[in-house]
Amino acid sequence: MSDDDARPDDATDEMLAGRAAAGDRRAFAVLIDRHYDRIYRLAWRWSGARDRAEDIAQEVCVKLAQSIATFRGDAAFKTWAYRLAYTTAVDHIRANQRLVTLEPSDMMALVETVHAPEAEDAVAGQDLWRAVRSLPPQQRDAVLLVYAEDLSHAEAALILGCTEKTVSWHLHEARKRLKIILDQVA
Amino acid sequence: MTAKDLDSLKSLPVPPPRDEAKAAAVSAALDAFDKSSGAAQASTAIVRPISPSTNSSRRSLMTLTRQQYALAASLAALVVAAPVAFHVSRTVEQDPVELSGNATPAPQVATKDELSKEKSDADKRRASSDLLTRLDAERKRAAEAEVDIAGERAPEPAASTAFASPPPPPVAAKPLAAPGLVARDATRRMEAWSSLGAIGAADSQAPYLPAQLEESRDRFMSAGVNPVKQVATDPVSTFSIDVDTASYAFVRRALNAGRLPPQSAVRAEEMINYFRYDYPAAETPAEPFKPTVTVVPSPWGADKQLVHIGIKGYELKSAERPRANLVFLIDVSGSMAPADRLPLVKNGLRMLVEDMQPDDTVAIVTYASGSGVALEPTRIADKAKILAALDGLGAGGSTAGASGIEDAYRLAAANFEKTAVNRIILATDGDFNVGLTDDSQLKDLIERKRAGGIFLSILGVGAGNYNDRLMQELAQNGNGVAAYADTLNEARKVLVEEAASTLFPIAKDVKIQVEWNPARVGEYRLIGYESRALNREDFNNDKVDAGDIGSGHTVTAIYEITPAGAAVTSVDALRYGDPAKPAATASPASSELGFLKIRYKLPASETSTPISLPITDALALPSLDAAPADTRFSIAVAAFAEVLRGSPHTGSFGYDDVVNLATPARGADPYGERSEFLNLVRLAKSAPR
Repeated sequence: MSDDDARPDDATDEMLAGRAAAGDRRAFAVLIDRHYDRIYRLAWRWSGARDRAEDIAQEVCVKLAQSIATFRGDAAFKTWAYRLAYTTAVDHIRANQRLVTLEPSDMMALVETVHAPEAEDAVAGQDLWRAVRSLPPQQRDAVLLVYAEDLSHAEAALILGCTEKTVSWHLHEARKRLKIILDQVA
Repeated sequence: MTAKDLDSLKSLPVPPPRDEAKAAAVSAALDAFDKSSGAAQASTAIVRPISPSTNSSRRSLMTLTRQQYALAASLAALVVAAPVAFHVSRTVEQDPVELSGNATPAPQVATKDELSKEKSDADKRRASSDLLTRLDAERKRAAEAEVDIAGERAPEPAASTAFASPPPPPVAAKPLAAPGLVARDATRRMEAWSSLGAIGAADSQAPYLPAQLEESRDRFMSAGVNPVKQVATDPVSTFSIDVDTASYAFVRRALNAGRLPPQSAVRAEEMINYFRYDYPAAETPAEPFKPTVTVVPSPWGADKQLVHIGIKGYELKSAERPRANLVFLIDVSGSMAPADRLPLVKNGLRMLVEDMQPDDTVAIVTYASGSGVALEPTRIADKAKILAALDGLGAGGSTAGASGIEDAYRLAAANFEKTAVNRIILATDGDFNVGLTDDSQLKDLIERKRAGGIFLSILGVGAGNYNDRLMQELAQNGNGVAAYADTLNEARKVLVEEAASTLFPIAKDVKIQVEWNPARVGEYRLIGYESRALNREDFNNDKVDAGDIGSGHTVTAIYEITPAGAAVTSVDALRYGDPAKPAATASPASSELGFLKIRYKLPASETSTPISLPITDALALPSLDAAPADTRFSIAVAAFAEVLRGSPHTGSFGYDDVVNLATPARGADPYGERSEFLNLVRLAKSAPR
């Protein structure tokens, strides 16, 4: 986050964003191309499923297009985009939480009462991801921003809209809770 | 739990996005970019995604209009899971951390980045922080709803809920803690559901089940496979027809995954009725169908015979078909890009369009982050235009607009005709971001529109995101079908074949009753329809609900009978019975094996009409080979179901015998369904026991 990953032979994000805000379509395309993977990764870390992450990422891209004109360059583009991605992902998850996602093959499992359905992709660290995603939303968000997205507490605080102290507190509570959860899994 | 463990989160691999999805996102973004010209417009253009509703969506599971075994099972599991999950979410709600977090609006702090740019233009800063503030406000609004959501997560058996609070139950173990209960409940619920199984019939949403019906169902449930009955003691057999076919899809899925389906999931009648048979159809819609009865020697029981009853619903001629006014509402979000999603939907709809009449109309609305009208209502006569619009659809090609579903209803209303079939077909892989911000609002809208005569059907595709419950609920509110398609063939079946019968029911509450002649038949057994059994007196009771038949639907029922006086019987005759008496009473009609009666109601009628047919020797064939191919094939399917579910009545008849019987009876098989059946039989043979 602190480092701009703009390639030297290319314009910085902020320059591109400025041009895009002024209506430069190509500049905007470069920006989206450059940030898509990061946005998608964030979406996946929150949602745990590629399908959903792809949908969220697309939505973020569209929102970026719709609001790029308001970008004035006083914050890093990345922070700005992050924030949009984060809010979109959280909204998406919230909206989806009440919905049951079951594959027909999982329904079979239910009938056989063998396995619980897994809406998430099967990946390394499944238990940890799952445990983190099961935290209360604010603790989950703090953990994912600070540990998975590797932001500083201050950056996370900005995105979460709270103080650094609150972030630290969420992290502290999250660690306590995760310990219990993971002990149970093990 | 140390910071170190958590540090691994950033290095854990994230499954990469699909290229199609990225391309779709970029093109959608550029589309939106082109559309938002000028800062003023852009600043109001931030689209809110679906936000949480505050209204529970758990009502009337009983009135689902289409039976699907798998869904029924999942619903049952949800019902079992609910109390546990609810408890968990209550705990979350009371969690002080959560509450304090939600209640305190925390001040913002600037990052180092922002501080370093302190000197930049104040106006610009204000503009940007405006955005942040707006986002904050949105987020808070949403967060305030979070508590409600926690209470709402109850019916979700997924891991996230199970984990929601310490001490967490093991992942989803609770919902499944009572396997017997789940299974029982699953089947029971399915029964309830299938009794209402009218597919899309406008008036099929009976809100209750007659109690006696439920009782008899329960009884038959535990029986599993219909027992052999003695004509002397139990000469009358009564059941409701069933045109559901979900069990077949279910069995296929299991076998394709390399395992045998659970025996309880195999429903012989649903497997038999999955296939279309070319029985002679009735001549006029006034008499909507006619039965075709064939009596053949049983391939698995020496001395036994099969009485094969085939019914084909009157096929509405195009002139008699009401005009169709369809609006396709299509999800074009990024995840729809893979071949088994949007391309599948497009192909399926293309086939549907080919099958429609020149006066029918079609419109297309797409949605992803926004929505757009891809095709204004167009007559099928202008087919090229419709096909071109379908071809032009691509994942990500959405435009910012008001609301997909509202657009769809608007277009349907624009073309509304009271006598026409006015229907929206929503195709999605589970993203219901159709434009309304609230689920209950969405359901209300759908219900309201249904009352106004515009129905909603849902076609689900893809596997990852597929949200069966909401789909079913929405379709139910819209008086429509929710179907799932994983292959083009299935999409064709759902959209084209079933569309006709779904859209145009020709008879409802169809019941069958057979009275066997004790002089000729000693024992009988109905293959399948266990869950559809009715009491003898239900037959004439128009209050008792039964299955519906759509235009062109076929229904098959097969009885196995043992002639009276056969040397080998399943049930010993009564020592103290009066063997002479039945023979005497039946003698006037000794060429009759039995008497078939069918009762049905015309779609708009509340009183039933009977039709009847004596089952005479004239209908008997000397050998099974002499029977029509369709008859033989349906018998093979019945045998397969019997073997799969471990029925004790088919003796040593095995998978190889099924293949031998079905192979020459495949017929034209234009869509490869029968060949697929043969493959399934082979898979069953090789599946681990």
